[in-house]
This record gives sequence, structure tokens and C-alpha cells, in this order.
Amino acid sequence: MEHGGNLVNRTIMLPASVDEAVEALAATPGAVPVAGATDLMEAVNAGRLRPAALIGLGRITELRGWRYEDGGTAVLGAGLTHARMDRPDFAALIPALADAARTAGPPQVRNVGTLGGNIATAAPAGDTLPVLAALEATATLARAGAVRDVPVSHLLTGLDPLRPGELLTWVRVPLLHAPQVFLKSSGRSGPARAAASVALVLDPARRGVRCAVGAVAPVPLRPLEAESWVAGCIDWDARGAEGAVLIDPAALVAFGEYVAGACVPEGGAHGEGAGADAARLRRTVAVLARRALGRALK
Amino acid sequence: MTSATELPAAAPADHETGTTGLGTSPLRTDALPKALGIYPYAADLWAEGLLWGAVLRSPHPHARIVSVNTAPALAIPGVHAVVTAADLPPGPDGTPDGAPAGTVTADRPVLAAGVVRHHGEPVAAVAADHPDTARLAAASILVEYEVLEPVTDPEAAFHAPPLHPDGNLLRHLPLRTGDPDAVGEIVVEGLYQVGRQDPAPIGAEAGLAVPRPDGGVELHLSSTDPHGDRDRTAACLGIDPDRVRLVVTGVPGASSDREDLSFQVTLALLALRTGRPVKMTLTRAESFQAHTTRHPALLRYRHHADAEGRLVKVEAQILLDGGAYADVSAEALASAVAFSVGPYTCPNVFVDAWAVRTNNPPAGRMRGEGALQTCFAYESQLDQIARQLGVDPVEIRRRNAMATGDPLPTGQAVTCPAPVAALLDALDGAPLPALPLDDPEADWLLPGGPGGAGDPAAVRRGIGYAVGMVHMLGAEGEDEVSTATVRVSGDHATVICAAVDSGQGFATLARQIVQSVLGVSEVYIAPVDSDQSAAGPSARGRHTWVSGGAVERAALMVRHQMLQPIAADFGMSVELLTINDGKITSYDGVLGMPVSEALEGRELWATAQCRPHPTEPLDPETGQGDAFVSIAFCAMRAVVDVDIELGAVRVVDVTVAQDVGRALNPRQIEDRIEGAVAQGVGLALLENLRTEGGVPVNASLTGYRLPTALDTPDVRIAALLEERDVVAPFGAKAVSAVPAVVAPAAVAAAVRAATGLPVGRLPILPEDATVLA
Repeated sequence: MEHGGNLVNRTIMLPASVDEAVEALAATPGAVPVAGATDLMEAVNAGRLRPAALIGLGRITELRGWRYEDGGTAVLGAGLTHARMDRPDFAALIPALADAARTAGPPQVRNVGTLGGNIATAAPAGDTLPVLAALEATATLARAGAVRDVPVSHLLTGLDPLRPGELLTWVRVPLLHAPQVFLKSSGRSGPARAAASVALVLDPARRGVRCAVGAVAPVPLRPLEAESWVAGCIDWDARGAEGAVLIDPAALVAFGEYVAGACVPEGGAHGEGAGADAARLRRTVAVLARRALGRALK
Repeated sequence: MTSATELPAAAPADHETGTTGLGTSPLRTDALPKALGIYPYAADLWAEGLLWGAVLRSPHPHARIVSVNTAPALAIPGVHAVVTAADLPPGPDGTPDGAPAGTVTADRPVLAAGVVRHHGEPVAAVAADHPDTARLAAASILVEYEVLEPVTDPEAAFHAPPLHPDGNLLRHLPLRTGDPDAVGEIVVEGLYQVGRQDPAPIGAEAGLAVPRPDGGVELHLSSTDPHGDRDRTAACLGIDPDRVRLVVTGVPGASSDREDLSFQVTLALLALRTGRPVKMTLTRAESFQAHTTRHPALLRYRHHADAEGRLVKVEAQILLDGGAYADVSAEALASAVAFSVGPYTCPNVFVDAWAVRTNNPPAGRMRGEGALQTCFAYESQLDQIARQLGVDPVEIRRRNAMATGDPLPTGQAVTCPAPVAALLDALDGAPLPALPLDDPEADWLLPGGPGGAGDPAAVRRGIGYAVGMVHMLGAEGEDEVSTATVRVSGDHATVICAAVDSGQGFATLARQIVQSVLGVSEVYIAPVDSDQSAAGPSARGRHTWVSGGAVERAALMVRHQMLQPIAADFGMSVELLTINDGKITSYDGVLGMPVSEALEGRELWATAQCRPHPTEPLDPETGQGDAFVSIAFCAMRAVVDVDIELGAVRVVDVTVAQDVGRALNPRQIEDRIEGAVAQGVGLALLENLRTEGGVPVNASLTGYRLPTALDTPDVRIAALLEERDVVAPFGAKAVSAVPAVVAPAAVAAAVRAATGLPVGRLPILPEDATVLA
């Protein structure tokens, strides 16, 4: 399986299964797993990263699809590409994740960039991350002889980080069978990094609204109080009725402000410019949150 | 086009008419290879046994170089040479000065000597047997810097300590004409800012230097000015120009100058030092540091107008940030001053303009330098007047429009066609794009793009107009000349002209000219190198004029040689013969001979020059003078949708009416207009190379946002006005620069119309287009 090193004596391994991959990872300390490489190669080219060895995950076909569990959970392979998540069959399952995948970049990037890579890179503006936070997704981490599940948000915040020798294999997402929205603002029409994004999912079974704001902080933020407040403003029983108004428009506006207030701190501490920047970001988040809930309840 | 001539051997004929020659639209020969990805760019060059070059650049925008220790780099196995300023010929006082050079003023060292004046300035260079080794070696060179306070605010440059022995003021140009005390019924004022646009060429800088047995060097790169670059490179190296040969290859298309002098000289020096071919390709991040950008500008305007909106007086102060080195700042400033009022007449104009030196990235040539910045300002001012008086924005422009024969504020009469009113009329009649309400079935792309956050309820549509102008050819007394040779051998012709086709389509045009004049269908365009006669740089629409003119003259001389014996046989003068569809016919129809028959077994050639009428410098006290050869005009209407809550702007449609003199290749003109509009829309909404303390913060294609297909509007041509410029060859005007100049102003006007906000800076950021509830 090993290929001879090139000029700088680098090793590239191409395991065909998760077991082979975790074995390789255990056997080669300092090896870096790589899937789409859209973030990794940028770091390598810029000289920020010189991995001792690479473990290519592209041949592990089981991780490139998804399966169902217990009727209410989708188990997504870490190797799912953004392009695959954007397809209609996936979009019918988890619409917000499909929306996030669609806006994540130009087609060349979406064709190779993966869900697992998005989590592992944990960039503040990673588009799928607020959706996973809103869905309260959990990640399966495999290592030689052991497997454990960790909430994705714990991985992202570093509360429970990836340990040496662990490989991100699966992402568990609840199937909610209700509207979900992902909105992002980047100031342009073409693909771009989000200035702010909002993911919002409805959970009618539990009469809950879950929301996460991306790109405004190092990790997606959950406005928990705003979520529980707005869940009480929704006329859940009227769902499905023709022409029903599920929420007072004033509550939509208030929800936007509530979310923005919770996720973007008051600026000003770093001078006037920072204050103005923060005010703009709050406005943007407020608009996105208001529109997201409005669309979900339409 | 050098290697591309191999592909479709002769240009395919125009699909609709089946004819070739002027006025038809044959395809560019490099279009197909470039689209297929098989076009050889300079980065693809290869030579047996080549070494790789790498450059060490300054991490500081302003610092004194205390010492440079190259020993660690030389100690790395595989490193063949390390060069610094000390390896270049010394300055007048015998100490290394980095061999300063420049297109106008020789103030920019090839390698920094003693002081660095901008972030990314080259300090040393390495040749090694592997690109990684070269880069690692460059990084291992120990440079001790004494960091100095950078001057990054152009307004502070006036009083800051001199950053260069030449001082910080690159040029001050006042313009005074008319009555300074004139006052109008209304006065509008504005402060306008233009950001730093980068040319961001699709191919990053690359080249190959090969040492010659005579101690000289051969440079293979995408130069846009082969002779100028050869002479400057030779001067920097201290060798005779004859010993530098520059071969133009793999030009990826350029809206600015290509490989800068430092790149060329360093490459040549490494080849001379090692005696081996040396190849150097810049990374994208380096490319942003290496080439010059558009001049950021600060413009303060005060317009006086009468009750009908006719301009009474214009006062302006214009400040261009030239960055660390002079480059073409003086020329950009002349353009900014002369066109400070725009294509309008105004009897009283008072302008002060400065280009200053700072520690910011150097600014240089880029489509409509100087003219673009003022176009945004004067068009914004006209919109303000229109709004104050309640006059339609098209009408206010019509009332002030310049016509042929009217004077510029510099006193020069505009003798070329100036069809400004006709351009406005053409726009006025053009249909508007449908509103989403009219066509609910259509897939309405909202601001923010597909899958974005756009909400139809928050979207406002705005329509804006702008008119602008640029000059063609060098200004203020610059000697403009080009030489071309046309050779006919049997059934095919060859054009030898050192005019580089940097995407403007010169190769296609030269082929069309020869086809038209000689009736020969197979025309080859020879690859360009500096052994040919000089044709000058590819800039300011020069080559359509001077090189196109030279090709035509040479072709006409060959035509005369070809027809003379035939005319003599028939006892008539050459003037009575015409060439049409590859056939020579006489005025009386007696003769009808195919061109191929007339040329059989014959070898004919002629060399000709084209030199337009001379110009003069602008007066340093009053800004008066006949500084320009000719001027091109363009009017544009932009339609935008703005999400006023998020400030997202989408340009829906741009409709263009342009003064082209004569459409020599209509499809190529439309392509050039589309490209220029895309670049203008980029500057209007996205592109800005931001700096913090003189250090660029978004020098990558992720951070520097170029317009994608989704950001680029539908571009529609309302009219290509063909009023021939009698002094120009074929009566044609250059087409590429002026749409790029006008588009930002038109988009800004449309955003203003949609939002009611003032919009005083480019690019227009979301916060500039957000309407607060």
C-alpha cells in the first residue's frame, strides 16, 4: 500500500477501508489524513504545513455515502462531498445541509471538498458547521480497536478534541422531516466566504426551534434563549393548515434582534471602527435570522 | 500567439458571411488553444539543465537594510548562485544602488539597496537545481532590517521625510482656465475615494533566461514592451542592448504591464551568473507583490451649474497614491487632470492634482489609469446636480455634452469625433431588462446569488448612467512609432511586427488588414522578439493605431509592387485596379485575375512605419497644451438589484454605447467590451487590495475577490458608433480601456438610484448599500 517517498521523502498511504486507515494512522505518528485537500493543500503550498506522511481517504468508498439508523437518524460518511450533498435526494433529507453545501464554493471545490474535511478544518466560516450545530450532530471517531461518539460542537470548540490516532468517520444527524433553512451573507453573487451565516431547523415533534450563527466567531454560536423564546411564539398546531399564520411578524423581527444580540457582542472596546463593524454584523445577523425563521414557517 | 499560430493555420472565415478582411469577425487564433488548456504559457517553458530562480522579498513596507548575509543560502546543496544589489553595476558614486530603472523615471531598484520602500520589494535572488531548494535558500538569507515608520497615508506624504532621494511628490499638475470668480446658481460638492484594483492576471509572472555564448542573455517571457524591456534590462545589467534578446512568448492576456523589470533583470542576472538557463515562476501570492496596481485616489470636487444644469465652473483636488515608485504616475496624473470634467464642456476649470510617493504597493499602468478615477467623481457630481434640479440624469448629460471641436479644459480642441450626445441617444432607446414582476416564471437571480439570503421584499432596482473618456496613444510629447514588414511569397503572406498581442487582438487585426489590402487569405503573424524593429508597448490602445497603421502601409506598398506589372501590361495606372474576393479587377471590367495568379513565383516585401502627429506637454503652471492624439468615448447604463437590508448588490444588466470610429472586427470589439465591463464591475463592487500599515492583507485569490460569472452582468451593446477618426488608420479607435473606465461610475449611479445613499467610494461595500430602517 505504501508508495515510495518523493524528493522530500514523503509517504502517501491509500487505505481502502476505515480499519486500514486507523491502522495506518496508529502505525505512522504525524501522518495527516486527507480527503478533498482543498484546505490542506493550500496550507502545504503556503509552507504552513509539511506533513510527515499523508493518508488519502479517497478509496474508502463506505465513507462517501450515508445510511439510516433507528428510522430517525442519518449516518453521513465523512467523505461525502459538497457536490453530493447538494443533490436532490440528499436535499430532501437534510435541506439545510444541502443549502450550505451548495454555497460552499465554486464547483471545483465542491466536487472534492468533504463534510469531514469541513469539520476537521473547523474554519470559522465553514458553511456546513452552523447546520451541524443546529442539528446537534454527533461525530464518530475511530481509532485502532475503539470507537467513540462526540457532539460535533464539542469537537469544534475543543471541549473534546480529536485525539492522536483518531479518524473522523461518520456524522450522525437527526431526520426531522420539517423545514430547515441555511442563509449566508457574503456581499457578492458568486461563491464566497460568509461574512455571517444562519442555520435554522424546526423540530415539530419536540416543538423546538434550533438555530446556529456561523462565521461571526471561531465556532458556530447557539442563541439558546432566543430559540426557546421563539418556540413559544409559534402556533405549532396551525402547521399545515391552508393560509395559516404561524407567527406574528413582530416576533420574527424580535427573534432576529434577539439572535444578533446573543451572538455578536457590542463592539466599541477596540475603538470606534470596531464598534461600527460590530453594529453592521449585528444588523446582518438579525436580518438573516429573521428571514431564516420566516422562510421556515412559510 | 507565438506558438498558437500552429493550431488553426489560417484564421477561420467569418461564419455568417464567409468573408475575411476588415469589418468581419474571424476568431482569434489563440482562442481555441486557450479554451482547451493546451496553449503554452511562459510557465510551461523548459530548457535542458535549467535552474530555478526564487526571490527573497522584504517583509516590511519601509526599512533600512543593515546587512545581508547570503552564506546560509550558499551553503545549501543545490544552490548555484545568490545575487543581491551588490551584484548589479554600481551607481554613480561607486556604491551599489540596485540599478534603478523605470519606464519614465529610473527610481525603482532591481534589488533593494540600503532601503526597502514597499512590502514585497525584492532584496535578493537565488538559482538552485530545484524550485523548493531555491525557495528554501531564499528564505535562509539573513537580512537585518532597521524597521522604519511607513508612510501609508498619501495625504501625509507631503510632509513626511523623503522616502527616496527624488522626494515624495511624483508630480503636481495644476490646471487653470477661465474665470476663478465665476459662480453658478447651484453648487454641489463631493469627496470620492477609489480603492486599489489589482490586474490579477490569469497567468502569474513567469519566464526563462538562457545565457548566450557572447556573454549576453536571451529572455523568454510575456513582455508587452519587448524593446523597452530589452533596453532597460541591458542598462540595469550594464551590457550592450544588442547582447540582450527578448523573445515574447505565452502572453496570457494583460490589462496592465506584464513581468516587471526586477523580474526580468534578476532572471537574466542569475542566468549570466550561473551560465545555465534559469526559469522563474511566481506564486500567486508573490504575483500580487510583484506587479503594479491601479492608483488609489482621493478626489474632492465642487461643481457650479446654472438653473438648467449647465456647468459653470468645476473645481477639483485630485490625489493619486503612486506607491513606492514613480512608474507611470505622472502620465496617469495628466490624464486625470485633462479629463477632470469628463466629456462635458465647462468654461471655468480649476484643478490641482498630485501624485505622491508612499510606502504602499507601487501603482502603475492599468486600463484608463487616471481617467477612471475622475470618471467616478465627475459622474457622481453630475448625478448630484440632476437630483438637485430634478432633471433626468440622461438629460443633464445631454445638456453639457461635448461635441466634435469643443475644447478640453487643457485648451486642446477635440478634433476627433466626439459623439457624446449620439451615444446618450443610443442608450436612451435601448430596452430595459424585464422586472421579475413582469416575468415571474424566470429564475430570478437575487443579490447574494443562488442559494443566498436574498429576499424579494427587500430588493430595490436602480438604473444609473455614466459617460466617460480616455485618450489613446502616449501623451504629452511621447514619440509614438511602430514598424511593420509585410512579406508575400506565392500564395501566403507574413507579417513581421513586434506588437505584442496581449489579448487586444492585434494578431487577428493584422491578419485582417493584410487580407483586405492584398486579397491573400493565408496570413501568418511572425512570433515577436526584440530583433525585429520596435513597435512600442502594448498599452493605451496603441497597436490598433500605430502598428495597425504600419501593417496597412507595408501591405499597400506590397500591393503596389504586385499590381504595377499588371497595370503596365494593360497600359493603365495601378489606381484603376481593385482587389476583391481574392481577385484583381480593373475599373472597366476587362481584367479579372486571381491574386494567386498575380503572385505566382513572386517574392514581395515592404517595411513601413506609422507615426501619428506629435503632442506637447501640459504647461506646468496652467495645465494647458495639446497633449493627446485622440480620445475615445463610451456611455453606459447599469441596472442593479440591491438587497437594501444586507447591502448585497447584483448588476443585472449593463448596456453600452461606444464610439469605435470604425468596427474592424465587431465580435472582437464586443468581447473586449464584455471583458472591460467585467473588470469595471469588479472594481465597483469587489476588487480592492487592502493594506494595513503598507502590508497587503488579502493578497490571494481567496481574499482578493474577482468577479465570477455570477457577479458579471449581461452586457448588451446598444450601439458601436462608427464615425471615422480621419487621422487614425482605418478611422478606428481603441476599444478596451474606456468601458472599464465608465462601468464603475455607472454601477455606482445605479446603486445610488436604488438606495438613495450617496455612494462616495469604490468598491461599494455592503455597508455602503444598506438602508437603515
